[in-house]
Amino acid sequence: MRRPAPNQPAEGWWRVIRVVPFAMTAVVSAAVPLAWAAGGKSATKLVNVADTRSLPPGFSKFIADVYNDNLLLYGLLVVAVMALTGLILGVILDRGLVLLGLNLGKLPHHE
Amino acid sequence: MDALTIFLPIAGIQFSILILLLIGFTVGVCGGFFGIGGAWIVTPALNSFGFPMSYAIGSDLAHMGGKSIVSTIRHGKFGNVDLKLGGSMIVGTTVGIEVGARLVMYLERIGLAEDYIRKVYVVFLGALGSYVLYDYVSHVRASRQAASEGAAVPAPSKLARRLQRVHLPPMIRFSTSGVTCSLWLPVAVGLVTGVVAGVLGVGGGFIRMPALIYLVGCPTLVAVGTDLFEVMITGAYGAFTYGVKGRVDLIAAIWMLAGAAVGAQLGTVAVKYVRGYSIRLLFAVTIFIACASVLMKQLHFQRASSVLILSAGIAVSGVILGLLVAGIQRERRERANLARTNQGDWS
Repeated sequence: MRRPAPNQPAEGWWRVIRVVPFAMTAVVSAAVPLAWAAGGKSATKLVNVADTRSLPPGFSKFIADVYNDNLLLYGLLVVAVMALTGLILGVILDRGLVLLGLNLGKLPHHE
Repeated sequence: MDALTIFLPIAGIQFSILILLLIGFTVGVCGGFFGIGGAWIVTPALNSFGFPMSYAIGSDLAHMGGKSIVSTIRHGKFGNVDLKLGGSMIVGTTVGIEVGARLVMYLERIGLAEDYIRKVYVVFLGALGSYVLYDYVSHVRASRQAASEGAAVPAPSKLARRLQRVHLPPMIRFSTSGVTCSLWLPVAVGLVTGVVAGVLGVGGGFIRMPALIYLVGCPTLVAVGTDLFEVMITGAYGAFTYGVKGRVDLIAAIWMLAGAAVGAQLGTVAVKYVRGYSIRLLFAVTIFIACASVLMKQLHFQRASSVLILSAGIAVSGVILGLLVAGIQRERRERANLARTNQGDWS
């Protein structure tokens, strides 16, 4: 693909397009080693079944049921819950720190 | 005490909420301050309290992703996250981890992996800690000499400046870091740190942070923030892949994240009150402790090694919190003095 000359209207799109393969390479190359690190075959001693018999209905029971029913969904649930919890706690605690009256603006990068 | 013990249905064990909160808080403070994930504290700590190892690794990765979001938000507001640099490094890092993992497989095939890797780990940690400490001492000496002569303090990291001068297109300006260099420099640094992380079987945060300082030439605070950005991405994917394999106890991860979020926020704000070189000094001490812990494991003192790493983590986070409290008090005093001076000017 030939890069358009600067100041042409397509330049903005060119910028977007050239980021796509870079981002895809990043995601795919991030996937391989981490999948490797997680191990190949499951250990034979471990059985992926959560004991829900003594659990009262609630969040724990819901998680355990998802775990028992569909591990792919469970993997997605883990990422979604962690990201959402991190985001919510991050925003709330950030507001809390502002209430303490601290100056939380940009920092000079002195050494 | 029983009220604070919960049943973790996925790991299949009873576990204390307090321990989860404590481990999370400790690693949150250290992670926010140093820009690391802290798997080398969490995994042995959980395991020594009875958590099965594979669940300890998976649950640690899950909470690490959430915790790094908390720290990255705050570091981002401080202007410490170089997204362009982090994005450039991630490809090299992940390819490097893959190469490192394959190297480990090869060492396993020839029967050298277990013993060899741990020895390399000890030597590597010792060398890294010694270099960071040497750099700190050199900087302090140079600063004192410069102060006595009335000269400017010499710019640090000659190696980084030399590497930045390598003109290999495309040259990129990383404005947050204040660095202009070839795109291949962060990619190569990511690759090298990735290989080391892959061989040693760790996330790599504690290797990337000094690499960003000494090889790319980032200011310490930007190295910390940018490293956390990478930890956030790798932690999220690690959580997914371990989750799909059923090795994440989500309830345990949520409790740890609750402690870690508070710790991460405090650890991150603490960098505001500490100079970059002080972060490096404390980092060197932490690296030496990790080195001692691995050495003890090599000598088959498994339990003692876990106790050492957890108690050291608590001690280091205590020091960081002490620095934070002292910094806040200093800031308040200065503000009060300023207000008094202004009042005096008006009256």
